[in-house]
Amino acid sequence: MKHAYCLSVTILLIAASGVVALAQAPGRMAGEDVATTVSILDHVWLDAAHNHDGETADWLFAHDFVEIHPGGVLVNKRQQVDMIKDTKLGDIAIQSTDIQVRYASPDVAVLTDTTTIRGTQGESNYSGQYRVMRVFAKQNGRWRAAGAGLARLPTQ
Amino acid sequence: MRPIQLGTLAMVLCLAVPAFAQTKSPGTPAAAVDWKAMDRKWLDSEKTGDLNYLEKFFADSYVLVLANGETYTKKEWLGILKGPDRPTILSINPENIQVHQFGNVAILTDHTTIQGHDSKGNNIGGEFNVFRVVIKQDGIWKATGVVMNPDLSKK
Repeated sequence: MKHAYCLSVTILLIAASGVVALAQAPGRMAGEDVATTVSILDHVWLDAAHNHDGETADWLFAHDFVEIHPGGVLVNKRQQVDMIKDTKLGDIAIQSTDIQVRYASPDVAVLTDTTTIRGTQGESNYSGQYRVMRVFAKQNGRWRAAGAGLARLPTQ
Repeated sequence: MRPIQLGTLAMVLCLAVPAFAQTKSPGTPAAAVDWKAMDRKWLDSEKTGDLNYLEKFFADSYVLVLANGETYTKKEWLGILKGPDRPTILSINPENIQVHQFGNVAILTDHTTIQGHDSKGNNIGGEFNVFRVVIKQDGIWKATGVVMNPDLSKK
């Protein structure tokens, strides 16, 4: 099932790349709505975390991805993907609201959101609300998540 | 769950079409950036109140997220630093500065120790792991975001 899923994604990516290669014009922007694209990627990111979908996280995260978890723990891509796909760590419900694109250029986007988490992973109880900054960078024509920083909001 | 993910990915791929249609910006030789010096200059300016530098160094998109989640825009934060409620920073020391560069954006992480107090005398010091985002605009690196996180391993 996973192979079929990856194959489908790969075929779609190749097809999309081919169409676009034909449409490229030097020095011309294609009118991409960066804000909308990264807002959707924000949801893809959280869906992957919620569903223990390590493949999607691996697809989304840049090689040099970095995230600061609540409590100040720094993790790299490998560590973050391993955490996401580890079903033994337990399930967490994640929802993001108030997505604000703070900066958008043809190859960089920075957004903030309010992420609500319910649940524990391993010995860490992540339940609470967080102000999150997410950074996206376009690499080789594809948007990737470059990193995220989280700050826990006070309990109300 | 799989059908939902595939649906989401399909939407993303649709959006990726115009993304692929873009031309890459012309490559320019990467000038060496002294990221650690930038980080220290930034924090020194916050400590000494060098508002002229910060005004130029902060991109208009700058947003600061404090450890308690309070969020400030460039205008709001500079307004605080200029006003009577500005915090007093006695010392601010970044250590273990690490750089993750992705073309025109770089993420700097560091461990910053702060000693100081707010305008009412409340302690604002502590040890923080900090997530800093700088972007390249018109050839100049500028700060666009900060998220501070208390280093709970030190408590």
